[in-house]
Amino acid sequence: MSNILEVMDVAKYFGGIRALDGVALSVPDRGLIGLIGPNGSGKTTLFNVITGFYTPDRGSVWFKDSRGRWRIDGLNPNEVFRKGIVRTFQTPRLFKSLTVLENLLLTPIGQRGEDVIKVFYEKAWREQELELARKAVRLLKTFNMLQYANLKASELSVAHMKILETLRGLMTPASLYLLDEPAAGVDYPQAKELFSYVKKLRDEQGLSFLIIEHRIEILMEFVDYVYVLHNGRLLCKGKPKEVISDPRVIEAYIGV
Amino acid sequence: MIGFDVVGFLISWLTLFGIYSILAITLNVESGISGITNFGKVVFYGIGAYVSATLTTYLILMLNGIDVNKTPPYNINGVILLGELGNKNPFLNIGLFILAVVLSFVVAGLIGYLLTYPILRVGPEFVGFTLLSSGELLRIFLTHYEPVGASRGLMAIPNPFGWVPDSRIRETLYLILVLSFLALTYFVMKKLVNSPFGRVLKATRDDETAALCMGKHVPRTKATVLSIGSGFSGVAGVLLSYYFTSVNPNMFVPAVTFNAWAMIILGGLGNIVGSLLGAAIITFVDRALTFIIPLLGTTIISPDYLRGLLVGLLIVVVLLVNPKGLLPEKPIETPASKEVEKELSEKGR
Repeated sequence: MSNILEVMDVAKYFGGIRALDGVALSVPDRGLIGLIGPNGSGKTTLFNVITGFYTPDRGSVWFKDSRGRWRIDGLNPNEVFRKGIVRTFQTPRLFKSLTVLENLLLTPIGQRGEDVIKVFYEKAWREQELELARKAVRLLKTFNMLQYANLKASELSVAHMKILETLRGLMTPASLYLLDEPAAGVDYPQAKELFSYVKKLRDEQGLSFLIIEHRIEILMEFVDYVYVLHNGRLLCKGKPKEVISDPRVIEAYIGV
Repeated sequence: MIGFDVVGFLISWLTLFGIYSILAITLNVESGISGITNFGKVVFYGIGAYVSATLTTYLILMLNGIDVNKTPPYNINGVILLGELGNKNPFLNIGLFILAVVLSFVVAGLIGYLLTYPILRVGPEFVGFTLLSSGELLRIFLTHYEPVGASRGLMAIPNPFGWVPDSRIRETLYLILVLSFLALTYFVMKKLVNSPFGRVLKATRDDETAALCMGKHVPRTKATVLSIGSGFSGVAGVLLSYYFTSVNPNMFVPAVTFNAWAMIILGGLGNIVGSLLGAAIITFVDRALTFIIPLLGTTIISPDYLRGLLVGLLIVVVLLVNPKGLLPEKPIETPASKEVEKELSEKGR
C-alpha cells in the first residue's frame, strides 16, 4: 500500500525552540491515523508545516494524488488546499457573520457561481449550488444541526462551532483531511458520532485522515495507527493498543 | 409657504436620490459586504463627471466646426457657443450621453482596478488612507489642469434632453433616465451579492486569511468588486454632470465620500435596500434644507451647518436604537437557501 502523505525528517525552529526536530510520519491511502502528544509537543506545528502555513527548516513533505507525487512543503496554504488537503483548526476559524449554511457552502472549490460573469447566468451554477445544498443538509442532519442552518456561526455553542468546523472541511472534495482536535469541547455521544462518520467516509469513499486529538479514549476506538509526539520528536508509533500501554507514552503524558 | 413647487421638489429630490443611491449601493457592496474601506468613492464619481463633461463639451464644439484651440469650452466664448449650439440635435446629445456613460464606466472601472494593486496588499486602514488621498490628489490636479477649466471647471454641458423645450418634461425625462440607471445598478449588485461570488465577498470580509486558505482568490475578488463598483460610480458622475450641466473641482471634496458612508451606515451596512433608504433620507434632508434655509432668515448658527447637524443627529439616534442601521444585513439568497428553507419547513410539520 502506498502513502498519500509522507513527512520526511521535518524540523521547524522558532528561535531556540525546537518545535519540530526531525519528525517522520506517513499516512497510507485510506488511512485513519491519530496524532497525539502532550501540549506543546508540536502537533499543530506539524499541521502548519503540512498545510503551508510554515516552511520547514529541514526535511520535506510529499503528497500523492491521482496525477503523481508532489513535494508540497513551501507551497502557499491555498495551493495546498487546491491539491486536495483540507485542514480544520483547533480554535474554529469560522466566518462569523455568515450563517451555518453559508459556511458550509463556501468551502468547495471550483464553484461556477464564484465567477463574476457567470453570476448573471444562474443556469450555469444553479444545479451545482443545489447539489451543494443537499450535501450540506445531509451533513447537518447527520449531526442534528439542521435547525441551526440559518443561524449565524457566531451564535452557535462552542461544541457546535467545533462540529461545524469539521463539517466545513468535509464539504469540499479532498483526499486527505487533517483534523485538529475535532472532539475538543464536544460532548461524548456527539464526539463518537463524529468519529463514526469519519470512519464511514474512510470506508465508503476511501478518504484519508490524520487526526490530532487529546481525547485519547475516543480516538483509540477508531484509528488504525497512532503517532506520539513529544518535545518535537516522535516518541513512538504503533497500533492504538500498543501505544496506550507503552510506558514512554504514559510517562510523557503524566510525567512520572 | 405660498407657491411651494411640490412637483419640482419631488423631481429634484428623486434625481439626486437616484444619483446618490448608485454611489451608496456600490459603496455598500465594496465596503459593507466585501470589507474594502473605500474612503475614495469621490475619485470615481469625479472621474465619471469630468470624463463626460470634457467629452461632451469638446465634441459638441468640434462637431460644429469650431476650433477648440482658439475657443476652448472653458473660456467665456466657448460657454456662450455651447449654449447656442448645444441643444440643437437630439441624436447628437443622446449619442454623446451614451458614449460618455460607456467611456466613464470603462475609465473609472479601469482606474478602480489599477488602484487595487497597491491597496489590496496593505491593511484596511491604509486602504482607506490611500483612497482618501487619491481623491484629494484628483481634486488638486483638476484645480490646476487648464484643459478641463482648472478651478472654474466646465459649464453649459448639453443635457441629453436639452432639446426638449419644456423644462418640466425635460427634468422628468432625465429623472426617468437616472432611475433606470439606478435600477440597473441595483439589479447588478443584487445579483453579485446573492450568489456564491457574494459568499466569497462576505467570507473575505470576515476572515481574509481563512478565505485564502480555502483556495479563494481573495485579491482578484476584491479587485473585481472595486472595479465594477467604481465603474458604476463613474456612471453616477456622468449623471451628475449632465444634471447640473456644469462641473468644478469643488464638487468633488471628500465630504461626498462620507455622505455616501453616512447613507450606508444609516441604512444598514451590508443591506442594499438599506442603502436606498439611507440615500432617500439623506438626500431628502439635503433638498428640504435648500428650500427651507432661505426662509429662515437670520439665525443664531449659520443654516449651512444645519445639514451636518441633522444628518449627524439622525445617525446617532438610529444607531442607538438599532446598532446595525435601519435594515440589518440579511443572509445570502441563492437556490441553496430556498432548498434548505423547504427542508426546514418540512421538518417543522
